[in-house]
Amino acid sequence: MPTRHTPSHRLLVRLLVAAQVLYVLGVAGAGYATTAYGQHIWLATAPVELHSLQYESFVRLRYTAAEVPLTAWRGPTPPQRRQAVYVLLNTGPDSLATVAGVYDKTLNPNPRQAVLRGWVTEVYNRTLGLRYNLERYYVPGDSPLRLGKTSPAVRVRVSIAPWGQARIERVELLKKPTAAR
Amino acid sequence: MSRKFLETESPAWVTEGLITEAQRERLLARYPSDAVQAVGLLPLLGSILVGLSALSVVAANWQSLPTQLRLGLLLGSLVAAYAGGEYFLRRGNRRVGHGLIGLGLVLFGAGIILTSQLYQLVGYDVSGLLAWVVVGVLLSYLYESQTLILLPIVIGAAVQTYCTQALGLFSYATMGLVALGSGYRWWRRPDTLMASVLAAGLLWQAALWVALSHSKITWFFIPAMLVYAAGDWHRDRAAGRALQGPPLVAAYLFALGLALFGETDQYAGLLRPPVLAYLGALAVVFAFSVAGKRQQSRLASLPDWLLLLPGFYLPGGLPLAIATLVVLYVHAGSVLARAHRSGEAEQLTLGTVLFIIATMVAYFKLTWAFLDKSLFFLIGGVLLLSLSWYLRRRNASRLAAGVALAAGGSALIPPPTSPPEPLP
Repeated sequence: MPTRHTPSHRLLVRLLVAAQVLYVLGVAGAGYATTAYGQHIWLATAPVELHSLQYESFVRLRYTAAEVPLTAWRGPTPPQRRQAVYVLLNTGPDSLATVAGVYDKTLNPNPRQAVLRGWVTEVYNRTLGLRYNLERYYVPGDSPLRLGKTSPAVRVRVSIAPWGQARIERVELLKKPTAAR
Repeated sequence: MSRKFLETESPAWVTEGLITEAQRERLLARYPSDAVQAVGLLPLLGSILVGLSALSVVAANWQSLPTQLRLGLLLGSLVAAYAGGEYFLRRGNRRVGHGLIGLGLVLFGAGIILTSQLYQLVGYDVSGLLAWVVVGVLLSYLYESQTLILLPIVIGAAVQTYCTQALGLFSYATMGLVALGSGYRWWRRPDTLMASVLAAGLLWQAALWVALSHSKITWFFIPAMLVYAAGDWHRDRAAGRALQGPPLVAAYLFALGLALFGETDQYAGLLRPPVLAYLGALAVVFAFSVAGKRQQSRLASLPDWLLLLPGFYLPGGLPLAIATLVVLYVHAGSVLARAHRSGEAEQLTLGTVLFIIATMVAYFKLTWAFLDKSLFFLIGGVLLLSLSWYLRRRNASRLAAGVALAAGGSALIPPPTSPPEPLP
């Protein structure tokens, strides 16, 4: 196994590097395809804290769908911390999605429903804390969020791909940026 | 041998007639002065600074750069690192070459993570990062470099940590890739450092599995001792022992914890898996290990398994603590006995330390309640001092005998074992 500079060794290295480049491009392609072929929903959040933007390149989104009543739980056994869950959302064409139920296994939604995957962060007495891994929004350089100084109200456009990946498409200010300032 | 040592010592060698002046000069020429090497580091430091400045410019403006440019930067630096690595390897500069290829591998992982972040994309299983581990394992086969062998083990542990902590699932594929991929690499070309890192990486993943599945923590020792047993089957004794180090340390710490805290039934209750399933699995691993020891004729290391005696099934309380202490003593004694037979200085030290630890635990455990505090410390101190004096004396005489034997019989082949001495 010593390093040899034979043609076959060089070819293997080149193939491996090419595979890595293709793989990273594939991840980028999955990003595009999730928007192109995915289902689009709007999620409501609490007003965004912009202070962290001074030190970091992202803001934390606190979704209203991140805390659901325990009555929405549809599993056979009580939910556990860190458990992976499937959240059924009722969606409208241009309205915010609302949680219809939290399931412990995959399900087939109606056309006016969507399924977003998440994890249980905490089980409280009456509610269930959820995490969607969509909490960090890396704010692009040209985003109106970068101009705001207070905590603006926003809504979040999320695409869910048929194969299960999800991404934040964009974050929209609910009021005009001038009003927010 | 350092240049400074040569410079100070070699005149005496010439006067004593060990070497001639000409030979001294040739020896000095063979080891160039350190100053030359230090100057050789300057270009490296300079290029690191330049690289850091470029990195900070990119990092500060990362979010403002267009998507395509960001993707291009990631892929460009990836390809450049690999191309640079190959270039330096062809020129014979192995260290820089392997370093750059390692950098390429790290950049691949960074590329996957930053591209997902670029599209604010969320994956729900580990498949995205699994490719990183696969590439790492493949690279470790393509190059003969310690860095590139260690990287996939570390990457595997990191990916598994992310997977269990953020996604709440255990990636058996990652575990399998590291265990089989890096494991086979080690099996073919053993290396002691790699063996210890490999064992520690696998143990880390096993611990994550136990934590995630809410199993009794004693289940951890089934995969851990499987790693240990793999070391028994290896033909290279040193490499096998290095692989067995981390599992043995884990087992020893566990036994020590049992001796210290085993009295409370509550703690012991946390450790009791279903008897038949656990003992059955442990017996299978034990048989595998014994078969390996027999094959490589290393049955002398069998007392290692004493640490795995499932004493926690005993009722909690004093009987459990005392039984564990007896096991610790017998284990320390077995290490000492083995060291006395083989005459290895490191094993002797280890055995001595283990013996002293067992004595300390026993003393703390059993006499705290019955003695006045000052008397407790006085007796404990005297006990430890006399014990260490006795063991040191034995070690010194044992090693001196070994040296005399080796010096006396240097022309002959030394006998494989010296007659064993009675145990302390």
